[in-house]
Amino acid sequence: MAPRRLLLILGCCLVPLMVIALMMGPVFISPTGVLQATLDAIDATTAGPGSTRDGLILFSIRFPRVLLAGLVGVCLAVCGTAMQGLFRNPLADPSLIGVSSGASAGASLMIVMGGGAMLQGGQFAGLSIVALGAFAGGFLAVLLVYRLATSATGTSVATMLLAGIAISALAGALNSLLSFVADDEMLRRISLWQMGSLDAANWPRVWFAAVAVAVVMVLLPREGAALNAFLLGESEARHLGIAVDAVKRRLILMTALAIGISVAVAGTISFVGLIVPHIVRLLIGPDHRYLIPASALAGAMLLIIADAFARVLVAPAELPAGILTALLGTPFFLSLLGQKRRIGEV
Amino acid sequence: MSLYAHNLSLSLSDTPLLNAVDIEVLPGKISTVLGPNGAGKTSLLRVLTGELAPDSGTVTLNGHALRECSAIQRARTLAVLPQHSLLNFPFSATEVVLLGRTPHDTGIAHDRQIAAEALQAVDGDYLADRIYTQLSGGEKQRVHLARVLAQIWEAVPEGERYLVLDEPTSSFDLAHQHLTLEVVRNLADKGVGVLMVIHDLNLAARCSDRMHLMQCGNMVVSGTPGQVLQRDIIARVFQVEASIGVHPLSGTPLVIT
Repeated sequence: MAPRRLLLILGCCLVPLMVIALMMGPVFISPTGVLQATLDAIDATTAGPGSTRDGLILFSIRFPRVLLAGLVGVCLAVCGTAMQGLFRNPLADPSLIGVSSGASAGASLMIVMGGGAMLQGGQFAGLSIVALGAFAGGFLAVLLVYRLATSATGTSVATMLLAGIAISALAGALNSLLSFVADDEMLRRISLWQMGSLDAANWPRVWFAAVAVAVVMVLLPREGAALNAFLLGESEARHLGIAVDAVKRRLILMTALAIGISVAVAGTISFVGLIVPHIVRLLIGPDHRYLIPASALAGAMLLIIADAFARVLVAPAELPAGILTALLGTPFFLSLLGQKRRIGEV
Repeated sequence: MSLYAHNLSLSLSDTPLLNAVDIEVLPGKISTVLGPNGAGKTSLLRVLTGELAPDSGTVTLNGHALRECSAIQRARTLAVLPQHSLLNFPFSATEVVLLGRTPHDTGIAHDRQIAAEALQAVDGDYLADRIYTQLSGGEKQRVHLARVLAQIWEAVPEGERYLVLDEPTSSFDLAHQHLTLEVVRNLADKGVGVLMVIHDLNLAARCSDRMHLMQCGNMVVSGTPGQVLQRDIIARVFQVEASIGVHPLSGTPLVIT
């Protein structure tokens, strides 16, 4: 498939998909209802979206939720793309550098230490204490991995991989230890958090995720040519004029920030970062100048769809979105794997 | 103006790899480096291309110390073809060749033109739309040759251009070995300085303007093929008895073992 065509298709599908996701939920809202409530919100002369039932549902629950799903999907997919390019390995994903397990440990620590009462009340700028713990844990883990892999001669990607495994194991052990000392209620919270869910979506979380997406989507596409050269190998990239170590540092920092924030607002949602870049690469090839924006759109769509299903499948209860991403993505991915990619087409 | 290394020494964890080596790659000339395995040929290339910093000695690129050249300046004037490539992503061959244009900002249309010409130069036009990961070893190597050709295809204001190749003919059949030498000769005729590591003494004799014979990190002898390919030198360096004839077509020395 031509890369531009895929970008066009994905771009055109995103908004209709968001509208459908806004309609879905325990209470069905018609497309005109969505449109009416949106117009009410923009139009200052009306009483605002909160004056109607549909408006209230849309603006306090579904809009933040759908937007957050999209933004987190972008972060996960785009950072997955960056890591697969950096490690020259289509099986890499952001968890490889310790961010997910670090965040899990941070969140568990807050859940266990915080106890019940503090969890309800403890908020900072709209983020819960648990979310802050997750961000700090994820970011710290990545910094540690990066420092371990960096010496006077530069950053070794192979060492980074091993350090990532080591730090993940360490964080995993801490996590198990915390689960061991936790009581039943805490244990349930920990395991639910680890499955990843968007049910805590609110506007402040949307803004945090929007900042992460803005940073990544402004900075990462600039590294497209460098990431392409990286696929040849580090010394070849250097011979092509790429400042290899500076690029590595920027990619790691960007990933730590974006994944740290997305984990903080939505928990660890696995699979998106691994599979979305892979699917897009099967469709349009590995050129990062197209792969990055296309993965961003596809990641947003996958998570919006997964979250919509998570809300309606067992309504009024909810499934964690992390389960749905794998359930929905895997069949699609496997069917693509079965086909040969882009025969005779550039 | 040349790619020039003076008095290079290098050791890695107390094993000496290079010992006071001098070499000069002149624009428009083909230089070859020969020697037995472990003689330090690849180490010399890695120091010359800035991948390794020497313990002592200097490398200059067009009169500037290599370490002080910016990454872009270096990439626009010095292209390197490694022995093996790690690439395992499904680019098309054209996309791989286009990677060679990364350091240039000449525009995509112009770059595509150059990529097509470079692929043609290595007898690879039929590969253009094929997926790199599905090519044979020799075809992959030719695509990479086209990539480094594309990198230094045109004269640049930054200075004279150089191409360094590490055993470029090792995975080629006879026809493509000779094609490679022809490509490299055409490049030298356009003013590019070429440095090749090569194992086949007779191939080297046919294409070299200057030969450099190394042994155990030392430069044993540098000179024209006739000066280097002497019976006693080959016996000393390779421990092989050889007789030296004359190639009936090219008139260059012919080593018969």
